[in-house]
Amino acid sequence: MIPEAVLFIGSLIVAPLAGGFLSGMDRIITARLQARIGPPLLQPFYDLFKLLRKEWLLVNVWQAFCVNCYIAAASISVGLLVLKSDLLLILFIQAVGAIFLVVGALTSTSPYSQVGAQRELLQILSYEPLVILMVVGIYLETGSFKIQAVMDWDQPLLLRLPFLFLVLGYTLLVKLRKSPVDLSTSHHAHQELVKGLMTDYSGPYLALIEIAHWYEIILFLGLSTLFWATSWVGMFILGAVLFLIEILVDNTTARLNWRWMLSYSWGIGITLSLVNLIWLYMR
Amino acid sequence: MEALTAILILLPFGTAVLCYLARIRVIRNIIILISGGLLIASAFLLIPYTPFSFSPKFLFGLDIHIFLQGGDFLLPLLFLYFGFKHNSLLVKIFAILQLLFILFIDFFLLKGGSAHSVFYCDNLSLLMVLIVSVVGSLIAFQAIPYMKNHEEHLHQSPSKQPGFFLVIFLFLGAMNGLVLANDLMFVYFFFEVTTLCSFLLIRHDQTERAIKNAVRALWMNSLGGIAFALALILILIQFQSTDMQRLVQLPPAVGFYLLALALICVAAFVKSAQFPFQSWLLGAMVAPTPVSALLHSSTMVKIGVYLVLRFTPALENTFLGLCVALIGSFSFLSAAALAVGQSNGKKVLAYSTISNLGLIFACAGINTPEAFTAGVFLILFHAPIKALLFLSVGTIEQHIASRDIEDMRGLYAKMPLTALITVFGVVMMLMPPFGLLLSKWMAIQAAAKNPLYIILLATGSALTVMYWARWAGTLMSDPFAGKFHPERQPLLTWLDLGSLALGAGGLSVAVPWIYPWLFRVDMIQGYTPPYQVTNGILENGYGIFPVLPLSLIAFIGLLISFGFLFRATKSRIAPSYLSGLETENPGVFRGPMNQPVAAEARNYYLGHIFSESKLTVWINLGAGVLLILLLGGAL
Repeated sequence: MIPEAVLFIGSLIVAPLAGGFLSGMDRIITARLQARIGPPLLQPFYDLFKLLRKEWLLVNVWQAFCVNCYIAAASISVGLLVLKSDLLLILFIQAVGAIFLVVGALTSTSPYSQVGAQRELLQILSYEPLVILMVVGIYLETGSFKIQAVMDWDQPLLLRLPFLFLVLGYTLLVKLRKSPVDLSTSHHAHQELVKGLMTDYSGPYLALIEIAHWYEIILFLGLSTLFWATSWVGMFILGAVLFLIEILVDNTTARLNWRWMLSYSWGIGITLSLVNLIWLYMR
Repeated sequence: MEALTAILILLPFGTAVLCYLARIRVIRNIIILISGGLLIASAFLLIPYTPFSFSPKFLFGLDIHIFLQGGDFLLPLLFLYFGFKHNSLLVKIFAILQLLFILFIDFFLLKGGSAHSVFYCDNLSLLMVLIVSVVGSLIAFQAIPYMKNHEEHLHQSPSKQPGFFLVIFLFLGAMNGLVLANDLMFVYFFFEVTTLCSFLLIRHDQTERAIKNAVRALWMNSLGGIAFALALILILIQFQSTDMQRLVQLPPAVGFYLLALALICVAAFVKSAQFPFQSWLLGAMVAPTPVSALLHSSTMVKIGVYLVLRFTPALENTFLGLCVALIGSFSFLSAAALAVGQSNGKKVLAYSTISNLGLIFACAGINTPEAFTAGVFLILFHAPIKALLFLSVGTIEQHIASRDIEDMRGLYAKMPLTALITVFGVVMMLMPPFGLLLSKWMAIQAAAKNPLYIILLATGSALTVMYWARWAGTLMSDPFAGKFHPERQPLLTWLDLGSLALGAGGLSVAVPWIYPWLFRVDMIQGYTPPYQVTNGILENGYGIFPVLPLSLIAFIGLLISFGFLFRATKSRIAPSYLSGLETENPGVFRGPMNQPVAAEARNYYLGHIFSESKLTVWINLGAGVLLILLLGGAL
């Protein structure tokens, strides 16, 4: 067995690389969907290195603190995922990162950052109950919150928790900052909020946020693969298919406003989760 | 330990009288500091004696029950007096009813000493004593500089502080008595004393609003007292005993006992300001801030959750337990929703208290060993953090003359240290590895078996994130928060805020040691500690929370983040982005006609969904239905 510490640190190194590659693939696929050729696969890394070489410029010194906390929380949650720790705990730690990102944006006085931060809070509000319910569903099925128990489970969770998988798909959409739920910030500067809550981050700090973002992508894709944890091939296929669907949704939908987002995600998402939970409960 | 118990209950009463007599500020302050210190010390000295129980027969040469009965008569009479003084019909009616109930109990039901032991202290009581004595004393200390400013500001002369500190210490004594008492008659007596104390404290400033809110607090809590007295009557008729330790072991389905339990739960809901009884606690913030800190953290509202946690063995596998869990989770969600709609900082704190208490009730109702552990931990961690936040907001309010979150925008530039401490308090409310989140983790895992509770808890905790996060961000929001020069505050304030902040943080880290010490087998009837602790990692059959490793990582992360921060103070600071129209003044842009316009942004409070005027009616209605469900189910 590989010692846990090695596994933990290894995952901290591999996850952002994988996230960067996925980002590159995302850009190519999106470009092809839009009849463009798109950038090279490694473009996200080129962008990153360029950002890292720029001046360490800030609006408020506390932004530096918040960025650091964001990346720390995001990376630790990925590490705990790899260590097959407690699902609920991983979600809590991931939330710490999300909160610090918001707090960092709020420390700037620019209305773009401020409004972006408020919208990000609404996005968190929209998916947070859903992911907790998803984890609860996994618990009701496997009898444990530990990922180890999910890996040991003898049939794919997807068959028992289809709606909760959908709900996780929605959460991944938010986390990937994809349309129709890219309210607070998006990858393209076609926002009415400039770059939303990231408006006042620049240079190396923006690069660090990008890395933390890659950690988060890996975290949520990793969570989604748990729904077919009986075989490695199944995990890979499930993750890949979900990722493609997310890109497809991104390219075929228009942005919601926060009212619609909140009412759809709570109305439909919580209903679906509840139905799925009741199935499990009544068994 | 008799001596220690006596000190814990009687010393505050003595101090109260001394505070009232000492008309010279310095002497009074010394008295407060010394007795606070004594209180803290005796609470800690009590640790090795736990568990114990004993029955004192005499107090000052008189039978102890004479004091009890005298007090039981005097308190309703006093309420009646206040009812006439402030012309409140409800207070009068409730006081008379209470008087009748007490007469009935004393003359017809109570035959001599009915309890086996008057006082009983196990780890739950001990924890409560520690919270009351330590957090309560710290709040009393901070009240010294606060009340000085407060009176100067309001031009109150002659000083009303002797009366103020009289009540504060009376309160602490009554709290210690309540949590140490085993005889329900004594619990009831101290319960009524806390009602009186909270009324007097809320009324302290004697403004019209203060009196109005105090009277409301009085009648509501009297209602709780009536429920308690009725429960006592039923219990006495059924069992001829008011021994709590005996009662909790009885099967719940016996005759009137279930109804009595339901009434005790109602009394607990009133004290803990659960919906629909929340308005007295919200009104209580007209009082000076240390009062709010006291009511919300270590006293008053903790009575309700303590009582219900005490009775959890009797609630097991009952419909009543289900109802308590439902009401608790409902309160958790509703209070969080109302907090989202608030820009008034104190109201946010108040709703967050109600929300957390709801979570504790939910834990008590769910009633598995995990849930019970979560409930007790919530009491432990909520007390110092909420005290810290209230005292911070009080300090801020005295500086900026506002308690509105929007007015605290960029507070870091004016009061950097207070702002930082407040943010730290918010972080402890919200984030792992701190204790409150550990408790929430336990609570959610314990509630996971029931889809209904879990939906309420999941949505509630999402709303909780929203109102805390934006407050923390708002405090730090400033374009030129560069240099750190701590503002001037009285030394006592810094010591107080510092010890609460560090204490709460330290407690979180110490969980792997506190947990095995606090939670023993039979801490309460039929309880076994659900988690194993190995290398600072809490684990049970279906969950794992590495407290110590996480704290370590968090601490390292914090150090690195501060390193980053320090580095950043040396780098260039740019003005925030305003579409390229910035002027040399940060936050001001060139508007139409080349005029300077200050950019402005406010938090989303989503008033059209989450405002009090929209939600309170429906929430009260829902809570009323749930209460009827609870009482009807117990009949």
